Amino acid sequence: MPHSDIAKQVHKHKKTLLDILDTLPSIIVRVDRNGRINLVNRRFEQFSGITAAEAKGKLLQTLIPQFAGELQQVAVVIDCKSPLTNARIQSGSGANLRYYSLQIYPLDSDVSGMAVIRIDDITEHVRIEDIMAQTEKMIMISGMAAGMAHEINNPLGAILQHAQNIERRVSADIPANRKAAAEVGADLDLIRAYMQKRGIFDFISHIRSAGIRASDIISNMLHFSRRCDSGTEYIKLSELLDRVVELAGTDYDMKKKYDFPRIELQRFYAADLPPVQMSVTEIEQVVLNVIKNAAEAMADAGMERQPRITLRTRLSEGMAQIDIEDNGPGMDEATRLRIFEPFFSTKEVGVGTGLGLSVAYAIVTKGHHGLIEAHSRPGAGSCFTIKLPLKGRG
Amino acid sequence: MNNADIKVLLVDDDEMIRDCVAAYLEDEGFSVYCVASGEEALQLIAAIRPAVCISDMRLSGMNGEEFIVTAHTLSPETCYLIHTGMMYCLSDELHAIGMSADDVLLKPIHDLSKLVNKIKQCAAIRRCTQ
Ligand SMILES: Nc1ncnc2c1ncn2[C@@H]1O[C@H](COP(=O)(O)OP(=O)(O)O)[C@@H](O)[C@H]1O
Ligand SMILES: [Mg+2]
Repeated sequence: MPHSDIAKQVHKHKKTLLDILDTLPSIIVRVDRNGRINLVNRRFEQFSGITAAEAKGKLLQTLIPQFAGELQQVAVVIDCKSPLTNARIQSGSGANLRYYSLQIYPLDSDVSGMAVIRIDDITEHVRIEDIMAQTEKMIMISGMAAGMAHEINNPLGAILQHAQNIERRVSADIPANRKAAAEVGADLDLIRAYMQKRGIFDFISHIRSAGIRASDIISNMLHFSRRCDSGTEYIKLSELLDRVVELAGTDYDMKKKYDFPRIELQRFYAADLPPVQMSVTEIEQVVLNVIKNAAEAMADAGMERQPRITLRTRLSEGMAQIDIEDNGPGMDEATRLRIFEPFFSTKEVGVGTGLGLSVAYAIVTKGHHGLIEAHSRPGAGSCFTIKLPLKGRG
Repeated sequence: MNNADIKVLLVDDDEMIRDCVAAYLEDEGFSVYCVASGEEALQLIAAIRPAVCISDMRLSGMNGEEFIVTAHTLSPETCYLIHTGMMYCLSDELHAIGMSADDVLLKPIHDLSKLVNKIKQCAAIRRCTQ
């Protein structure tokens, strides 16, 4: 083979190898025993903002100082010829907290005295593990809460319902009220004026909303554990989604606070989707929680554009998929990573309980062996994807 | 139909719950009967033949499920609703007498006007089927 052909071949192979390295989602760097760089892949360039040409010959620990501690081991790895793995490195804090895994491999070839470093962003993975662990905990607590719920729900019922009774018994619309007032020589309108002046109507309505808040927390807690063991049915997702939309439409909060009727609803249901086996009440709860969040997010953002929720269903890799998309404010990455955590909420105290999505997570993953994920960017809306096995809960 | 013509039987061992639900329903003009146990309710039901019977599940004596199954044989045209503070799943027996998940109301009911609508619905259905 002529010399120039060989050179061409070599060049081609080299190019192929580099292509492979650039395709990998990991950061890959080859360094000498001092950490001096002689090769980086594209992911490294994106991560550090430094081009391959600029990086060449520089000390890696100075370009990515957050890993300097681990990178001190490069020489040891090369000398001992045994790789080193650090599975969880924290970097940044608060909203910028991320997790990485870092591996150092001694290069086993004629170019000895070199090591290859591989770094992966495992933030999402770590988050999911955390959420799973927390979900397990909630399921346990939920089992205990179920026993208490009965004791708490009765008094809560009395509080809520008597508050409503008080509201009605001073209402101007009920003739019996006027009559009873007259019998004791009082004027209902004056009684009402007094109550108004002293803020009593507000007190009563606060008793009601506080009671509802307490009740929501308890009922959310209960939703972590399975409600009906017997209760699985085959149902069409389109039917389920339509029902939830109707339910949301009659919900007091949804109407009053989130202006649900103003939201444009788009529905794209796949025709070829067979009925899915599930606990209907549980999955209804999941969808309702997600739709409520979308309505809340859009109402809070005080959007100028027409608020819109898009519901889609389809068959995807043997699973039934529901997408619930809104064109609201979206969320940043730090928020997105935490939304399924129990008690995580960005809403004001008293508005959010932070349980809606964690309940959804428990029901979908634990109860139905499915998946739930969120995709979102600030300003670009949010899309929640729920995937359920067709024979979810057999 | 006038609300006064609609008889509602409340079964709950908690007096507070009986009182607060009854007060609301009475304000709506329904004829409301309250008892604290399934046993007492069984003595009454054949005589009053309520349009709607709302029963707690955890009762001293017979439980709500046993009560409804027996009551249904005495007054089959009554519409039975469950009002409970626990997560409750309908048994096969209750399914068999035509109850569905919509007939289970979890305590606390946030807004009693929903219960009123449910009662009116039940009463209307009963009238059609009679
Ligand atoms: N559609 C959405 N758009 C923007 N942010 C959302 C959306 N859905 C959920 N979130 C975020 O996820 C958080 C957790 O939601 P959730 O578990 O339902 O609790 P809560 O609604 O009580 O805050 C919310 O506080 C919000 O920050
Ligand atoms: Mg929520």
